This record gives sequence, C-alpha cells and structure tokens, in this order.
Amino acid sequence: MRVLVLFSHPVESSFGAGLHAQVLASLRKAGHEVDNCDLYAEDFDPRLTREERLGYHDLDTNQGSVQGYVDRLQKADALVIVTPVWNYGHPAILKGFFDRVFLPGVSFKMKDGKVAPCLHNIRKLTVVTTYGGTRQRAFLVGDPPRKIAKRVLRAIIWPFAPIKYLALYDLNRRTDSERAGFLAKVADEMEKF
Amino acid sequence: MRALVVYSHPCSESYNAAVLTKVTETLSGSGHEVRVRDLYRDGFNPVMSAEERRKYHDRGINEEPVREYLDDLLWCEMLVFVYPTWWFGLPAMLKGWFDRVWIPYVTFDIPGDDGGMGPRMQHVKKIAVVTTCGASWIVSKFVGEPGRKTILRGMRALVSRRCKTLYLAHYKMDTSTPESREAYLGKIQSRLANF
Repeated sequence: MRVLVLFSHPVESSFGAGLHAQVLASLRKAGHEVDNCDLYAEDFDPRLTREERLGYHDLDTNQGSVQGYVDRLQKADALVIVTPVWNYGHPAILKGFFDRVFLPGVSFKMKDGKVAPCLHNIRKLTVVTTYGGTRQRAFLVGDPPRKIAKRVLRAIIWPFAPIKYLALYDLNRRTDSERAGFLAKVADEMEKF
Repeated sequence: MRALVVYSHPCSESYNAAVLTKVTETLSGSGHEVRVRDLYRDGFNPVMSAEERRKYHDRGINEEPVREYLDDLLWCEMLVFVYPTWWFGLPAMLKGWFDRVWIPYVTFDIPGDDGGMGPRMQHVKKIAVVTTCGASWIVSKFVGEPGRKTILRGMRALVSRRCKTLYLAHYKMDTSTPESREAYLGKIQSRLANF
C-alpha cells in the first residue's frame, strides 16, 4: 500500500520521534511505499489564511495554496498519524493540516448545505499517540483526539476502513521498559499493517 | 471582572467578527474590564518550536517566548473564547495558543512521582465559549464535540474548582439565514450579560 505518514513533533530526540522512526522502518520492512510527511521538518504553516477562508468553497481554486499536500493525501491508500496529544487535542501544526488540506472537494463535498465525505481512497487508518495525562483523566475529559480519529476521520475515509488507535497514556511517569513495550507494540502493528 | 477574550478568525468581515463585537459590547456593558486578543491580527504563531519544546519543562525559561500572552492569562478572572469550530475542534491558531501559552509551573504542575497534575489557574472563575459550527446539533453531539471538551473539560481542570462555564454555538452555519444569525447575536447578549 501507499501509506501517508503524518508526523507532528518538533524535537528529534523525543520519544515521539522514536515512534515515528519505528513506524517508517516497520512499514518499509513490510513492503509498503511510505510517504513521510513530517510537518515540522516541512515547516508546514497550520494557519488557514484569509484568502483560503474566502475561497474555501470554490472547488476550482481552493486547493491552490496546498496542492502538494492535497496530491499526497489523494495518492495515499492508507494514513498513519504519529503525534503527541497536547492539552487534550492535537498539536496546532497537525490540527492545521485538517483545517487547510481537508478541503471541500478533497475530503468532503457540500450538497445542499450537507457534508458528503469523499476521502474514500484512505482504506486504513492507524494513530500512534502519547498523552501526558492518564487514561482515566482522558476518559473523563471525553478524549477529544480519540474522537477525531474514531468519529470524524472515521466518517470521512472509506466506510469499511479498519482503524487502530495505539495510545500510551501518562507518558511522564512511564518507565523505560513500558516505553520500550509500547514501541515494540507499534513495530508489531506496523509490520502487519 | 477582568475578562480576556481570545479571538481566532482570519477575516475581519466574517460573522465571527460580528460575534466578537457583540461579546465585547455585552461584557463591557455588564461592567467587566475587557481585554481582547485577536490572534490572527497579532500574527500569532501557533506552532511550538523545537527550541520551545526542549525548554518546556524549564521553570521560568519556558515563560520567555510567550511573556505577553502569559500576562493576559495571569491578569484575567474570566476567559471568553470566540472562534469558528473547524473539523469539530479549535482552529489551529487557537489550539496553538493553548499549546504555547498554557505552560507548566505557571498554569499547571506536571504529574510527577509525587502525584498527579496540579492546577495553578485558580484565579479564573468563569469560562465561556462562543462558537459557530458547520455541523448540526445532533451531529456535533454524536461526534462528541471534541473542541468543546478540549476547553470546558481539558483546560477547565486547570482553573478554579468552582469555575462557571457557558457554551454557546450557532449550528449549521452553511445554511444559516440573516434571521438565525441575528437571533444568535441576541442569545449571546442575553446569556453573556447574565453570566
């Protein structure tokens, strides 16, 4: 499969970067064609601009400023998102990817004021993520980033696409062996992706 | 009360700009001292840099890149957010304001061996969210309102235990009418004046 890997952590030596490297290596080992989209390395600007907002619903021109990203998203057969959770949401740089690239005509179409999802080329989705908070606290908050994956992205991609959400909670208090265990689980999941 | 209004929309002629005007007028009219942070107008950068992330846990040093925004946060007793809901969440611009400004040792204590996360923003007694949604009420509820929960549950945990909250939304913006938009402005006025 052609897999688009969306990654959003700024620090090369972070555990998140370790997860990212593992995801790339394991997917390649399994024979997938990987498009590595490292949002920080590519200096992605997550701010939807005034011009983009004004032209948002113009299907002929709205992709212009992010054409490269739209092409990569539309060429992909599967999506793997590797990200930390910050403040019970995605880092701004990843949120902005949805704001700016998941456009009308790309991920959905407007029909009589209703949204018709159309990112059906994505036939598989996995999220690899870490939380500072505990699983219990995330549950009490309502786990917004999990809902983005399991409900929002779920509704946009191919309706029968399998979704996996691999999360390590309470990262600040995890031991080396717990982190290694999570890394091994991620490797395993990616090798059989 | 000292009220900080954090606003995030790129277009000055947008309906959200009218919402902002209504919010600030209503708050001032109720005798609150109002400060507005217009993140787009400020050219705020919502991306936490590698340098900032490396120093995120360094007490004091982590305050330097966002000093003026922290001053707002420490000044206010009420927080009001005005933004369009995009993809059921906060615009990246506003999300980045949380990521970069709500830093440890000032707004909360990082969970450590000696215990869990500790709130440090007890001076904030009220939080209001005033937003617009493309989706309907029922779809928003089904999805679980991630944006609402990020603020009113996630960030809510860092402020006063007795903090009052208010959530106002105009749903189905893409099929809104002049009447529905006017009605929403009226609702903002009545609800916020008594908040």
